[in-house]
Amino acid sequence: MEERFLHLEEQRVQLEQRRLEVERDHEFRMFSIFAQMLNILKQGSGASPGPAAPMSWQGFGLAPEDPKRSRTPQGPEQTFPVFYGLSNPGTRHLQGSPYLSNRGNDIKFKSGINDEGNAAYYADKYDEDKNPNGIINFGISENKLCFDLLSKRLSQSDMHHIEPSLLQYQDWRGHMFLREEMARFLTYYCKSPNPLKPENVILFNGCGSVFSALATVLCDSGEALMIPTPFYGGIVNNTYLYGNVQLVYAHLDSKITETNTRPFQLTVEKLEMALQRARSEGVHIKGLILINPQNPLGDVYSQGELLEYLEFAKRHELHIILDEIYMLSVFDESATFHSVLSMDRLPDPQRTHVMWGTSKDFGISGIRLGALYTENRDVAAAVANLCYFHGISGIIQYQIAQLLRDHDWINQVYLPTNQSRLKAAHTYITDELKTLGIPFLNRNSGLYVWIDLRRVSVRKRKLMVVVGEWGCSGNGEAFWRPDLDSLGSDSPPTHPTPVAAPSTYTRAPLRRSCCCFAVS
Amino acid sequence: MGVGPPPARRRPHTQRAGWQEAGVLLPRGAGRFGPSWPGSPSPFPAAPLPGSTPAPSWGRHNTLEWDPHLSWEMFSILKQEDRQLAPSPALPLGTDHGEGLGRESSEKRDEEPADFYGLGDPAAKFSQISPYLSSRGSIIKCFRDAAEEGYKAYHLDEYDEDKNPNGIINLGTSENKLCFDLLSSRLNQRDMQHIEPPMLQYPDWKGHRWLRDEVAGFLTYYCKAPVPLKPENVVVVNGCASLFSALATVLCNPGEAFLISSPYYGAITQHVYLYGNVRLVYAHLDSRVTEMDGRPFQLTVRKLEIALQGAKSEGINVRGLILINPHNPLGDIYSQEQLQEYLDFAKRHELHVIVDEIYMLSVFDESAMFQSVLSMDRLPDPQKTHVIWGTSKDFGISGVRFATLYTENQDIANAVASLGCLHGVCGTTQYQMAQLLRDRDWINQVYLSENHSRLRAAHAYVTEELETLGVPFLRTKAGFFVWIDLRKYLHTDTFEEEFSLWRRFLDHKVLLSCGKAFECKEPGWFRLVFSDKIHRLRLGMQRIREVLGKEPQVAKTPSPCQPLEKSIQSR
Repeated sequence: MEERFLHLEEQRVQLEQRRLEVERDHEFRMFSIFAQMLNILKQGSGASPGPAAPMSWQGFGLAPEDPKRSRTPQGPEQTFPVFYGLSNPGTRHLQGSPYLSNRGNDIKFKSGINDEGNAAYYADKYDEDKNPNGIINFGISENKLCFDLLSKRLSQSDMHHIEPSLLQYQDWRGHMFLREEMARFLTYYCKSPNPLKPENVILFNGCGSVFSALATVLCDSGEALMIPTPFYGGIVNNTYLYGNVQLVYAHLDSKITETNTRPFQLTVEKLEMALQRARSEGVHIKGLILINPQNPLGDVYSQGELLEYLEFAKRHELHIILDEIYMLSVFDESATFHSVLSMDRLPDPQRTHVMWGTSKDFGISGIRLGALYTENRDVAAAVANLCYFHGISGIIQYQIAQLLRDHDWINQVYLPTNQSRLKAAHTYITDELKTLGIPFLNRNSGLYVWIDLRRVSVRKRKLMVVVGEWGCSGNGEAFWRPDLDSLGSDSPPTHPTPVAAPSTYTRAPLRRSCCCFAVS
Repeated sequence: MGVGPPPARRRPHTQRAGWQEAGVLLPRGAGRFGPSWPGSPSPFPAAPLPGSTPAPSWGRHNTLEWDPHLSWEMFSILKQEDRQLAPSPALPLGTDHGEGLGRESSEKRDEEPADFYGLGDPAAKFSQISPYLSSRGSIIKCFRDAAEEGYKAYHLDEYDEDKNPNGIINLGTSENKLCFDLLSSRLNQRDMQHIEPPMLQYPDWKGHRWLRDEVAGFLTYYCKAPVPLKPENVVVVNGCASLFSALATVLCNPGEAFLISSPYYGAITQHVYLYGNVRLVYAHLDSRVTEMDGRPFQLTVRKLEIALQGAKSEGINVRGLILINPHNPLGDIYSQEQLQEYLDFAKRHELHVIVDEIYMLSVFDESAMFQSVLSMDRLPDPQKTHVIWGTSKDFGISGVRFATLYTENQDIANAVASLGCLHGVCGTTQYQMAQLLRDRDWINQVYLSENHSRLRAAHAYVTEELETLGVPFLRTKAGFFVWIDLRKYLHTDTFEEEFSLWRRFLDHKVLLSCGKAFECKEPGWFRLVFSDKIHRLRLGMQRIREVLGKEPQVAKTPSPCQPLEKSIQSR
């Protein structure tokens, strides 16, 4: 009986693996369709932009400005504000619901914008069999390449454990066993010179919650945090919804100058400029947010750069919030990630707060686990009190502790496989992009590629609906779907075009790709 | 008798009494005069204009330059002077007593109604500012400081039969610890251990559709809804605290308020205040029995009206009414007529109603009938009626963090869902909850009957002990707790005395929740949780007996509760 059961189970596992392989193949195919579609768009655009767009963007090169297509020249007066901006999430509120408070209407309205793509996606999700014309999601930064590994690991028998304390009210900062495990994990993977302390670890149901809690305790209502753009737009909501904290943008751009040796380079000068500008407008900036490895650029900051940013923050008594959620998703040896936790001496340890979560590096965004590491007792105590609202199931805490503890599996099984799959997907995508003549930033981290579609022009403009503007409006990811008709009779699609290609940036794991459309 | 703030307020360091379920601290509320403290700017600036950024609205103004304790001292002095001028405690309504006292005297005019309501002022406790935190951050931090005493003491010295037999017995946290065996074996069944890609990926922030289907079916069945409830009206989050926080934020602007009858589950104060900056207006219930109040702590529409008018007269904008049914800590179950009255009251005043039914399946006495608002054929104001339920209490799994909102109002469902990204529930947990809620055979045939009989037995044991001790209590048929009357053990009728009795229990290694933690108006009431294993209950009761045995009973007027107790029992 038992044997038979085992046999069945084995078969099931094999089937499952087969299914996953099929799924991966399928994702590759989907991307080809996406690529073809882009091609169609390019062809459809017919005579327009002349020679194929230059590809010099790859690596750290910069696409030379095409003089014919360069946008309206900007005088010096216009340049200044370009480096600075202020999110204003509250201003878009149009018709209010009589049932909601003012801020309730804001919140609802925001969700309306951000969920437009999501709602469309959930309503018309692509499925190979059932809905081949559905939307393919290249928009959400999720790692779907390793579900097989994770589901297997999470199904192992050591995961299924329940004891009374797991089902009862807990320390809201997280169970001590998990905080200890997290401290060990971060010490090891962040290469901390000294063991990190469990009491400095506070657990939340996701990094969005960490942002929300930090914004609320570091800033008063109406105050601001600074962030370089482009950035992961979800942060706007995270700091604003409850905290009513705005973001001040330090805009980066793709131009190469003497000081900017690579596109979208973050320099202290740009931070200074944005800070001064905001202060002159009476905006109180309480902190700086850095994402490292950066989303969506894929940049990994060098130790020297990091130190400069930290010193800048210290000089201005700013808190610095480091989002290192992609820290293990660096998939090429050519890039080395340095956690701030690896530094021997932090310029301002009391104002340095680090966050990490399992969503990206383990591809389990549905599990909802984020961690804050801060040495500041006041900040820790204050955010801990907001943890009521960000609790995680005790059973899940146990499982995550098991996962983080299993360094053998992580080092020998998971990370090598994950990184090689990411690399393969990245190579595939970037090869396609090269064939298409689409410039992109060639980075070796994250789940995405930042691509330049400024030169992809289409006859029917409405195809290029850009919903997500990274840091311009601060929206999150978004989707668009070319309506078959709107492709125009001149260029009927040669393939059954399912597809939806998302807008704002392209990501390596295929189904999750997204492109930066700067509509011109 | 004057409403007077609890004396303890003058000595904030003695005020750390209250922690509440789950280590939540107690609301330091009370000052009904909060916003009009002399010389203090209102801690809650006016709501922003529609269309504008709800900008500097949080506690930014209330703290840096203003010491609430100082204001409180000032106020106390004024108040005493006031008393000297008009010493009669039984001041008739509307008597004008003393010109020239300005604001205080005009407040005094409302003495009688004031007796029945109060206004929570959670920020009043706030004292130190951290250089690293914002003003509101400092306030938020202080909530924990206040909470720490009881909770910390317990966690440092938790009772364990073998390892720490002299540790603290926790009869303070409202948790059902009687059914761990049932739940753990159910949650360990094979059907629970299923993983598929969507569970590990970003979900719909309202909750996975299959779970919302299951929740709708579950509520339809157990709330006896006349027509099937709709999955699209369900929003799933990680706990009721999150729902209160989200609802407060989307229904109220900063500084606005909800109405609630006190005593109530005190953690709601933080839930609506910490993120939402929303306050509570209390409709105080008391133990006196009058013609209108057939039983102690009876909630009547008249009391709600008085509190609402009182708040309005102080310029507080009340946006909703919170009802807890079955009630925590009283254990009351509202009849359908009562419910209807409360809902009609809310409709009359255009208030939202948040009905917290988290104990709905913990009605352990078969003679009691629980009526969910979802069972009503016609809700007075369906667009403003929002129901909360979660698995924490009824399934004894407060560590799993799962709760659900049911509202027909799509604006509210969507606004709450938009905050849902901050209150997400793990996908595999969602799957397990769906499996649990779907398994009606197990719930009906195994779990509920066993759970109820264990609750009944524990309740019977504790109440018999209380009777032997001569401690009056409200006899209830639902929940995990008894509301007990220890007023005769207080030397004076003050919250300081109540706190010191609470402290003596803690010193004697038994943790209870005192009435102040529930904003009870009368000092001397405690909530005793009985949903624990018998050996712990025995030891806990023995320790309580020892503490009370040492206390000289103060010969006061007999507990109004005692004779009533009989009438309640006979019901």
